[in-house]
Amino acid sequence: MERMKKGRSERSFGRERKDEPYYNRHNRFKEVASSSSNSSPASASDSPTNPQNLVGTCPDMCPAKERAQRERLRDLSILERLNGDASKTSAALAVKKFCRTISSADLNLADIRPLPVLKQTLDYLMKLLDSTKFPFETLHDFIFDRTRSIRQDLTRQNLVSLEAAQIYEDIVKFHIISHRKLAKCRERPEISSLCHLNVEQLIKCLLSLYDIYRLIGKGKGISDNEAEFYSLFVLLHLGNSLPNMGETLSLWYRQLAYSVHMTKEVRVAKKILRYAEMGNFKLFFSTVAMDLTNLQVSLIEPFLDEVRARAIVQFNQSCYKLQPFPLRHLSELLMVKEDELEQLCKSCSLETSMDVTGIKYLPCKQATFCIPKIGLPFNGLSTNQICSDT
Amino acid sequence: MAAFLSLAESQRRIAGYLNRFADAIARQDGATLRPLLAVSSAASLLPLADALSNFSDSSRLVSQSDHIAQFAEILLPLLRSIQSHRLGRFAEAYSSYEKAANSFLQEFRNWETPWAMETVQTIALEIRLLAEKGDRELASSGKSPEKLKGAGSFLMKVFGALAGKGPKRVGALYITCQLFKIYFKLGTVHLCRSVIRSIETARIFDFEEFPVKDKVTYMYYTGRLEVFNENFLAADQKLTYSLARSDPLNMSNMRMILKYLIPVKLSIGILPKMSLLKKYNLMEYSGVIDALKTGDVRLLRQALQEHEEQFLRSGVYLVLEKLELIVYQRLVKKIYMIQKQKDPDKAHQIKLDTIIKALKWLGIEIDTDEGECIVTMLIYKNLVKGYFAHKSKVCVLSKSDPFPKLCGKPVMT
Repeated sequence: MERMKKGRSERSFGRERKDEPYYNRHNRFKEVASSSSNSSPASASDSPTNPQNLVGTCPDMCPAKERAQRERLRDLSILERLNGDASKTSAALAVKKFCRTISSADLNLADIRPLPVLKQTLDYLMKLLDSTKFPFETLHDFIFDRTRSIRQDLTRQNLVSLEAAQIYEDIVKFHIISHRKLAKCRERPEISSLCHLNVEQLIKCLLSLYDIYRLIGKGKGISDNEAEFYSLFVLLHLGNSLPNMGETLSLWYRQLAYSVHMTKEVRVAKKILRYAEMGNFKLFFSTVAMDLTNLQVSLIEPFLDEVRARAIVQFNQSCYKLQPFPLRHLSELLMVKEDELEQLCKSCSLETSMDVTGIKYLPCKQATFCIPKIGLPFNGLSTNQICSDT
Repeated sequence: MAAFLSLAESQRRIAGYLNRFADAIARQDGATLRPLLAVSSAASLLPLADALSNFSDSSRLVSQSDHIAQFAEILLPLLRSIQSHRLGRFAEAYSSYEKAANSFLQEFRNWETPWAMETVQTIALEIRLLAEKGDRELASSGKSPEKLKGAGSFLMKVFGALAGKGPKRVGALYITCQLFKIYFKLGTVHLCRSVIRSIETARIFDFEEFPVKDKVTYMYYTGRLEVFNENFLAADQKLTYSLARSDPLNMSNMRMILKYLIPVKLSIGILPKMSLLKKYNLMEYSGVIDALKTGDVRLLRQALQEHEEQFLRSGVYLVLEKLELIVYQRLVKKIYMIQKQKDPDKAHQIKLDTIIKALKWLGIEIDTDEGECIVTMLIYKNLVKGYFAHKSKVCVLSKSDPFPKLCGKPVMT
């Protein structure tokens, strides 16, 4: 057996600090030796649980065996049906389903899709996202499940590469688009649970993506792409009712490379959180409008009304009863349309008033504020506040 | 070195070690047994290690007498580990040691009294130290470091062996602390939860029974967890417990505890003296404390930026960042006191303009909207008592106690 190389290797792994964990806990991907020339082959692994580097051989988006089985069982999504026939599909329409329980003993290489096929599958799914033939929930359900299956195939093959990272990035984008679209109708109870599950998968996806960045980056300078995707995890903490992300932000910051902390995207994300925390709504909204990327804005848009509600309650409680807050001014500050703001106040059980000239106000010191159980309405970012006199 | 060692001498050393091992167990002599297992830390094992490199048939020596052979499953991997460690093959040294430790644990379970408790604790320490060395070795040769993770699993087994009604349970806290050290190093801090639950809620454990040294370490780590979760009152209680029972002359321990206790104290309104910072070399907090004393927001931001990386690594950055509100409170209070000197009757009315000017003087530019946000936030969080008149842009303070102190409670969330 080949002797392990002793001494320093070509790659540097950064200074060792006493407190710093050098092993990432989400390390679902073991070191892949295949891409680099100077590391020893898989024979060096001494642990029996180290998965071998499988390479799938399935040439289609869905393995033929599964296609036949699901045709028989009539277990085809409406998007997979050939000419609407619930018992017929084709290689061009069927996409492999996510399967929760599969023991590694039953793995058949013919059922696993290699990287190029996974890319093709993802491209197909992303095109579907734009389809107008089906209601969004149907599309979401389908793509949600089928992208999960793509991620499963990636993990099973231990794929750690730039292409794998790009696949994860695209899946993250899908979850963010869904997050936004679903939020628009979140008063409906069935949608709100979909929202929750979607965010859960978004987080899992991000964490897997970070594993890959770490393994392919190895302390070298990172691309702008990575910084943006790291910043998304920070921005997620803006939402109040999110699924447990496993650890607090302080802990996550500890293990994040300082070079990532210093990037523009992560810095602005931290600022956003700080402004919301400090109640500096002026800078919060102006930074959101001016300094965030499109992807970042898409992610936090569903949270904006939560922030606005916090602003409303802050002003309501701190201001003077005899000097009610003009809604117009407040709506400009919070970058929302005046009538949407009025609606938001009403949803939070706060009254608005109107004076003789028709100008609307928020009277202060109302004791009735409460966030509605069904969640807040979704109002995006309105930056054109030059509205004509009402 | 090995060249000067005769075969006979090597054989003698190995046999001597084996005999000491078996005899110690027979006599239930923990004090003698313990150093025999301190692979990475005992210098006394070096001559043995040399002998092992020289004389390759140790297994024959082990099987020669029944007295020793009964412990073959412990001794053979143990000897391999000692040899590997001496040769600098740390990943191998760990793997062999884990096998030996496993077999030892099985014997330990059968012994009724806790006579070998110190040995078990030494084993726990060694498992962690060897795993750390093994992982460093693996990482530097491009492989996935997994020994420390394995050490964690092994120690959970040890914990299980101690978590019973008998007298062995008193050693459980030491194992817990080793586990904490592993989880913190790995970043898998969430795994601490289950051990903490066992210690704190299982009826077999009485926290007071544990040795003081272990309690101090335990409270230090659980205190740090509370800091990460921003439970400042609990963090204060635990870290203070640790501090109060630590040897004040042990500078390194005191510093470790204070590093986390200081941000906690700041969050509940208690400022340490500068002399404390100087004594324990914690001057990174001096800027923050000065800012809190003077209301200088710019100073706080500078201090955070200067030590940003350090604060992020220790996990206190967000805690310190949140102190900004308290600094603003101090600034507004200063303005109030100045106004009071000039015109006591009107002092309780502070124009927003004045606050904005004060911040400008500190080098921070804000507009009226921002100023309004800050002032209403201070009022909302009960750092300023009063109200803000939006139209006239004046902050009207309450006549009594307009700047309530935190009094040991964090700013309300």
